[in-house]
Amino acid sequence: MSDNSLMKTLATYDRRWVYLVLFLVVVGPLLQPIGMPISVSPDTEQYYEAISSVEEGDKILFTLNTEFSGYNEIQSGIVATMRVFIEHNTKICVAVGHPEATGIPELVFKQLEEELDANGYVYGEDYVILGYVMPNEASVASMSQDFQGAITQDWLGRSIDDTFLSEINTWEDWDLIADFTTGLATTFLLNHFALRGTPMTVNCIGVMIASQKPYVDSGVYLAILQSMRGGAELEFLTGHPGPGLTAMDAFTFGHYMLLLFILAGNLGYYGYTKQQRGGR
Amino acid sequence: MAEILKNRQLQIAVMALAFLLVFVPYFIEVPALEAASTKLITITAIVNAVTLVLALQSQIRRGLNIVQRRQTGWYFKAYMIITMVLMVVFAFFGRETGPYHWVMYAIVNPLSSVNYGILAFYMASTAARAFRARNTQAMLLLTTGFIVLLYQAPLTGAYAPWLEPIALYFGDTFGMAAGRMFLISVTVGAIVFGVRVLMGKETSVLGVGKEEV
Amino acid sequence: MVTMIDYSITIVGAFLAMCMFTTLYGKSSPLYALAEESYIGFGTGLTIVINAEYIWRTGIVNIMKGDYILILALILGAMILFRVHPKYNYVARIPIAIALGAQFGLSLRTIIFSGFIQQITASIVPLFGGDMVTMLYRWTIALSVIFMMTFFFYSIELTGPLATSAKIGEYFLYTAFGAIFAQTFMGRLGLFVGFMQSYTVPPWKKPILLAAMFIVFAIIVIMDRTGMLEKYTPVE
Repeated sequence: MSDNSLMKTLATYDRRWVYLVLFLVVVGPLLQPIGMPISVSPDTEQYYEAISSVEEGDKILFTLNTEFSGYNEIQSGIVATMRVFIEHNTKICVAVGHPEATGIPELVFKQLEEELDANGYVYGEDYVILGYVMPNEASVASMSQDFQGAITQDWLGRSIDDTFLSEINTWEDWDLIADFTTGLATTFLLNHFALRGTPMTVNCIGVMIASQKPYVDSGVYLAILQSMRGGAELEFLTGHPGPGLTAMDAFTFGHYMLLLFILAGNLGYYGYTKQQRGGR
Repeated sequence: MAEILKNRQLQIAVMALAFLLVFVPYFIEVPALEAASTKLITITAIVNAVTLVLALQSQIRRGLNIVQRRQTGWYFKAYMIITMVLMVVFAFFGRETGPYHWVMYAIVNPLSSVNYGILAFYMASTAARAFRARNTQAMLLLTTGFIVLLYQAPLTGAYAPWLEPIALYFGDTFGMAAGRMFLISVTVGAIVFGVRVLMGKETSVLGVGKEEV
Repeated sequence: MVTMIDYSITIVGAFLAMCMFTTLYGKSSPLYALAEESYIGFGTGLTIVINAEYIWRTGIVNIMKGDYILILALILGAMILFRVHPKYNYVARIPIAIALGAQFGLSLRTIIFSGFIQQITASIVPLFGGDMVTMLYRWTIALSVIFMMTFFFYSIELTGPLATSAKIGEYFLYTAFGAIFAQTFMGRLGLFVGFMQSYTVPPWKKPILLAAMFIVFAIIVIMDRTGMLEKYTPVE
C-alpha cells in the first residue's frame, strides 16, 4: 500500500471501524482481565479522608441521584463508600432521585452482605431505604426543612416511626450527605443541605467533574470522587478490589484507542485531506 | 369564574406571593411564616409530581395516533403502550419479587445502561474524525486532551508518573476555572430570567398565548 | 446458586441490549425499534408506578394522618391536568403560577450563594504565600476566570486591552475544553465499560453475552442483505 493510499485510508475510514474497535478493546479485557497498577489522585485521598472521618452512630443520608446507567459507572464508588460507612457503624438512610434507581440499593446491599452481618446491621435500626423521595427541588427542600412532614414511610410503605429516622427533623440532624450522582437532585441537595452547613461529599460521573469541582474548591463540598477511575482508586485505598479495579484494563485500552484514532485522523488530515484542498 | 382564572395580573400576583412565601422565611425567622413556607413547598412537590401525567398523555396520544393510522411499524407503538400498562399492572403483584422485579432487571436496567453507554461510541467517533490540529486553539485543545486522556488511563501512571501533576494541573485550574465561569454566568442568567418571569415579562412560561397578552 | 430467573434475566437483558447496539450498524432496524419501545414502554410504566407511589406517600398518607392542608395539593394537581384540554386549559394557570413562584423562591434564595457569591469568594485568594505549586494554581485559576469572563462580553466592543484579554481567555478556554473533553470521555467510557462488566461478571454470563452479540449481528446482516430492514423498520 503506497503512503498516499495509507493517508487516504486514515483520512476517510468508515466511522463504524471506530465502533468495532472500541467494542473489542473494551469487551476483550473484560472477558480476559489482565490486572493493571493504579495511582491514587489527591481528590480520592481527600474523599477517603472525608468518608473515613465519620463516627459510630453518625446519621448519613446516602443519596443515589442516578439512572441505572450511571450506576454502572459509579458502582465501585457507591459500594466502596457504603462499605466504609458500615465498618464505622453509622446509621444509613438511602434515598434515590430517579425511578430507575429504586433497584440499586438491593444490588449494593447484596454485595455487602458479609459486612452487614459482621457489623450486626438490622434494617430499621441501622439502615433504612426510603426509595424515590426526590423527584424535584421542592421535595428536597421539604425534606430539609421538615423531614417528618415530608417522609413518613420507607420504600415498601412501612412506617419510619420506629426507625432511627424518627430523630431527624431538619438538615441539622444529618452528619453527612454522601451523594452519588449523574446530576439529578445534587444541586438541590447542595442548595438546601450543604449551603446550610450539612457536610456533603459527591461521587459524580465524568461529565460532571468540571461543573462540580468549583464547589469543592469553594468549600461547599468536603470532597469529590471522580467517575469510575475514582471508584477504582477508592477500592484500592480501602483494600477491597471490586468492579472498579477490574474495569481499569478496559478503561486503559479504551483511552489508548481513542488517542490512536485521533493521531491517525490527524496524520490522514495532513497527509491527504489538506493536500486535496490545496494546502488551504 | 373563567375570567378570574384567565386574569393575567392575578396569575402574576399569585406567583409573586408564592415566591415571597418561600423566599422571605429563608432570611427572616418568623416561625409561623416558616411553617407556611414549608407546607407550600410540600404542596409544590406533589403538584410537580402530578405533572408527569401531562407528559404521559402526550406520549400515549402520539402512540395511539400512529396505531390508528397504521403507519409502518405501528405494532411497535402498540407494543409500547401495552408494555406501559403491563408494568403498572405488575406493580400490584409486588415490587420486591415477581414480574415487576424481573422486568426491572431484565429490560429496564440493561436498556437504560445501553442508552447512555452508546454515547461513548459517538464521542469516540466524533473525536477521531473532528479533532484536527488546524490552528493554535485546536492544538491547545488537543494537547491538553491528550495529556489528560493519557493520565486517566491507569497504566500510564506505571511508566510515566511525571504526567500526573501536569494532567492534574490542567484539570484543577483551567478546567475548574471554566466550570466556575460557566456557573457564574448561568447563575446570573437564571436570576435575570427569574426576575423577568416574576415581573410578568415572560408570558410563555405562564402558559399564556401571544394573542392573550 | 444461579437460578432460572437469573438466567432468564441475563439472556433477555443481553439480547435486548445487543438489539439496542444495532444502531451503530448505521441503519435503522426493527431490532433497535423493539429495544427502544421496550425501554420506553416499561420505563414509562416504572416512572408512573414510582411517581404515583410518591404522591401516595407524601400526599395521601399524610392527609389520612390529619394533615388536611395537603388536600390543596391534590386539588391543584387536578387543576394542572386541564393544561391539555383545548377549551379549559386556563384552569391550569393558577397552579402553574403557584408552582413556578415557589420554585423560583427555592432556587433563587440559594443559587445567589452557591453559584455566585461563593464562587467569586473562592476566586479571590491570596496570590502570594504558600509553596510554588499552590501559587501557580492560584494564579492560574484567578487569571483564567478573569480572561475567560472577558471572552464572553457581548454587549460592548472589545478593543485594546479588553480584546487582548478576550484573546487570552479564548486560548485558556480551549485549554480547558481539552481537559473537560477528556473527563467527559472518561465518563462516557465508564458508562459503557460498567455496562459490559455487568454481563461479564460473574463468568457464567460471558457465553450468554457472546451468543447474544453474534446472534443479533447475524440477524442484522441477513436482514440487510435480504432488504427486510427497510421493510420492517418503523417510520418515526
